[in-house]
Amino acid sequence: MKCVILAAGEGKRMHPLTYTRPKVMLPIANRPILELNLLNAKKAGLKHFIFVVGYKSEMVRNYFQDGKKWGVKIEYVNQGNALGTAHAIGMVEKFVDNFIVLCGDTIFGKQDIKKIVDKKNSIGLINIDNPREYGVVEIKKEKVIKIYEKMEKPISNVINAGIYHFEKQIFDFIKKTKKSLRGEYEITDSINMMVKNVVFKGVFLKEWRDVVYPWHLLDANEEMLKKSEKKIEGNIDINTMIKGDVSIGRNTHVMSGAYIEGPVLIGNNCKIGPNCYIRPFTTIGNNCHIGNACEVKNSIVMNNSNVPHQNYVGDSVIGENCNLGSGTKVANLRFDKKNISTIINGKKIDTKRRKLGVVMGDNIQTGINSTMDVGTILGHNVFIGPGANAKGNIEPNSRIL
Amino acid sequence: MCGIVGYNGFREANKVLIDCLKRLEYRGYDSAGIGVIGKKLQVFKEVGEISKLEEKIPSFEGDIGIGHTRWATHGAVTKENAHPQLSSNKKIALIHNGIIENFQKLKEDLEKKGVKFASQTDSEVIVQLINQNYTGNLRDAVINTIKQLKGSYAIVAACKEEPDILVGARNESPLVVGVGDNENFIASDISALLKYTNRVKYLDDGEICVLSKKDIKIFNKNTKEVTKEENIITWELKDAEKSGFPHFMLKEIFEQPDTINKALLGRVSEIDRSIRLHEKIEDLLNYDIKSIRILACGTSYYSGLVGKYLIEQLTDIPVIVELASEYRYFGTKSEDSLIIGVTQSGETADTLAALREAKNAGCRTLVITNVMGSTATRISDAYILTQSGPEIGVAATKTFTSQILILLLIAFKLASLKNKLGADELSKYIIHLKELPRKVREVLDNSDKILNIALELKNVDSVFFIGRGINYPLSLEGALKLKEISYIHAEGFAAGELKHGPFALLTQVTPVITIVTKDNTYDKMIANIGEVKARGPEVIAIAEENDSEIEKHADFVIRFPGQSNPLSCIPIIVILQLLAYHVANLRECSIDKPRNLAKSVTVE
Repeated sequence: MKCVILAAGEGKRMHPLTYTRPKVMLPIANRPILELNLLNAKKAGLKHFIFVVGYKSEMVRNYFQDGKKWGVKIEYVNQGNALGTAHAIGMVEKFVDNFIVLCGDTIFGKQDIKKIVDKKNSIGLINIDNPREYGVVEIKKEKVIKIYEKMEKPISNVINAGIYHFEKQIFDFIKKTKKSLRGEYEITDSINMMVKNVVFKGVFLKEWRDVVYPWHLLDANEEMLKKSEKKIEGNIDINTMIKGDVSIGRNTHVMSGAYIEGPVLIGNNCKIGPNCYIRPFTTIGNNCHIGNACEVKNSIVMNNSNVPHQNYVGDSVIGENCNLGSGTKVANLRFDKKNISTIINGKKIDTKRRKLGVVMGDNIQTGINSTMDVGTILGHNVFIGPGANAKGNIEPNSRIL
Repeated sequence: MCGIVGYNGFREANKVLIDCLKRLEYRGYDSAGIGVIGKKLQVFKEVGEISKLEEKIPSFEGDIGIGHTRWATHGAVTKENAHPQLSSNKKIALIHNGIIENFQKLKEDLEKKGVKFASQTDSEVIVQLINQNYTGNLRDAVINTIKQLKGSYAIVAACKEEPDILVGARNESPLVVGVGDNENFIASDISALLKYTNRVKYLDDGEICVLSKKDIKIFNKNTKEVTKEENIITWELKDAEKSGFPHFMLKEIFEQPDTINKALLGRVSEIDRSIRLHEKIEDLLNYDIKSIRILACGTSYYSGLVGKYLIEQLTDIPVIVELASEYRYFGTKSEDSLIIGVTQSGETADTLAALREAKNAGCRTLVITNVMGSTATRISDAYILTQSGPEIGVAATKTFTSQILILLLIAFKLASLKNKLGADELSKYIIHLKELPRKVREVLDNSDKILNIALELKNVDSVFFIGRGINYPLSLEGALKLKEISYIHAEGFAAGELKHGPFALLTQVTPVITIVTKDNTYDKMIANIGEVKARGPEVIAIAEENDSEIEKHADFVIRFPGQSNPLSCIPIIVILQLLAYHVANLRECSIDKPRNLAKSVTVE
């Protein structure tokens, strides 16, 4: 049975991180979301994948290639126009019979994928607290009656999780699907047509993690790290403290005076310390440097980025190829302790977090003693001068002096 | 000059083909057609733009096909002459871009054999010939056919009896292969395919490719398979879309602060106060160059003229600018002169031919182009990319300013190599260079003021543009922009030349646009304005922001920001572009697709 993973989306709400990568390539615990799904699907017994790609497809293709490295077979289909989920799934008609579809930007558990694989004509469901942003599913026993998109007053807390087991007949309904109000061909409309003729069953899932805005990566990261185990492959100097579940990658050098409190994940070829403090739920990518007198807490630092001298980084996402100047610090808490709001694509959004530092795109440099306010969003290639203060939403390629 | 596209994959072929053709429309748009192989070979053609074809096309079933948008060269604009062209037995369909020089002879030979022709095109000769050569293998039939052809061509053929392949071939006309998954593409230009793939393989002259759904095989003239590397295009689809602007031309005018930056990116170092070009280019400039020849056509020719003033002024090396179409037959080729070819597309047939002539004669050749991997980059000793992104509007705008900037960088580099320009002076220029994007943005912010002046020109029959020095080629470019998109007759003159003839044409209703910069020509220009005014027409002056004198002489003044310096030419050009755009827009002209013109002129 083939598994189709939808990986074409840009993920506009994930700007600025998705200016330079497709949403499915966002790393959580040092692996792209798509890889997490691939690994779980493989554990659920799936061996043959079709990635439906589009936005910056070459990054997906370069990373996964033909799948040999994972012991699976991966084929690609380019969606061309991004015209919605039904359109994306319609692309694979000539390549599948009975197949699984999963949204590549949501993380599914292996047991849940297995349950879907084992049940023909099924859809994954999940109970959540605030279903207004999702497709609410009306069910009778296990039979799906209808899916309602983004209800003002949801009829229940049961939503469409974004994983399906289809048979070939779905393509008949995809072809009849008309554009929705938001101008896309939606698979839920195709399903709503199909359930009138075919028994389509709901399957409740246990694990499900949706990431919409950049700070959701911190939540997902936390959840993944909670499941991690201690594993030291690097070189550890004397006089270091490594507490709890800390994973340190190959060729990474932890120097004296480093105090690391797990769960923490550190990639390969990093230089950690001397004299630094890395606090729980921090993930550091490959080829990074966390230097003297730096404190990093509950943050994601992506590959090839440096937090090298006298820095504080808390509750933040740092993109790839960034370098903080000596003394650059990030604020992550309002004095009045209220929730932090930020601006994404021109819209003010309450992050519902009391603590949030900075979300940094790729290739950012900051000058010495520069500072960043709570909830600052920096586009890629931004340059922050010495002593400058950045706040709000900064467009890519800007210079703050 | 036409646009061609072929598709072999899993999608509905006619939808993909129409989608791609729309992006090739800039290459020609007098008629279009599509051929799709399903259970049978289905062909539909229509006179007019692609949108007309799209409206009327029946739904063809099939996932392999070819499409064509035409700009007539042989034979009138009719359905019969549109492509795909079919063999008489309707077995083979073909699309073609280029001109077959020996088609008359080939046609007569075929007619003697009893072949009946349905069109007047040279392209039909190719398909009939392929059919004659066909013995069950389309690839071999194409190979044997192109051996008989003289001229330029990019062709793609499909055969009813081999419904799983397309065969393409090129010689002196552009053709690229787009690599997909379970699908492959072939087209005149990669921007047509960007929606579906950004992976591309470039074909060279004389090569043949066989496109199946799963793979692409490329062969050289001797039927030997060649391997080609795959290139990733970093342009994105949105670069080739209007993104909210009413016309591509306006979008491209407004992109200029950005494209100026890109042209200078990595080439200008403020800190070392130097210009850095690729090693190969610096080597070329380091020779003992006695003279420079710039070869180009159309707008690129005018950028060459601007370059002439800049290079001569800074380096004292004589520069001759020649029209490529003339140079290839009549130009002198001396080995101690550096040849600079300027072509936006890198596929301009005349410029390519001139470059080849020069190269064969032993000259060193340098190319300035916007398209990576284009033919020009492959036949020259070195190339510099303008890095402007795709330009879709037929009237060149952003690529013109970038070409001038590149010529300017060459002038700076040459001047420093020859010790004509000291580091302090160069650093002054570098500061001016860095200010350019901001100055251009200021001009763009005042687009509405230029619109007001455009109202003055809306209903006139003829406009003069005059200037001296570097402002003379700017006048030529201003006139070209205006005439090509607004269809108003416009002429550019060196201001000193007016009284040697053109005055005879000057009437009270011939507005004169004067470019007046504060340099050693200023007083003479004021005098020229006086001469013009004495004959009654309105004078519109383009002048620097602090020039208060000019108001006393001209009826209208458009200001460019900052003080006059050689780099002021860039904001001035942007003013001229906006003026032409607004006039054409007021006259409701087809701005992105002017009548009878096409973007990339791949015929000679």
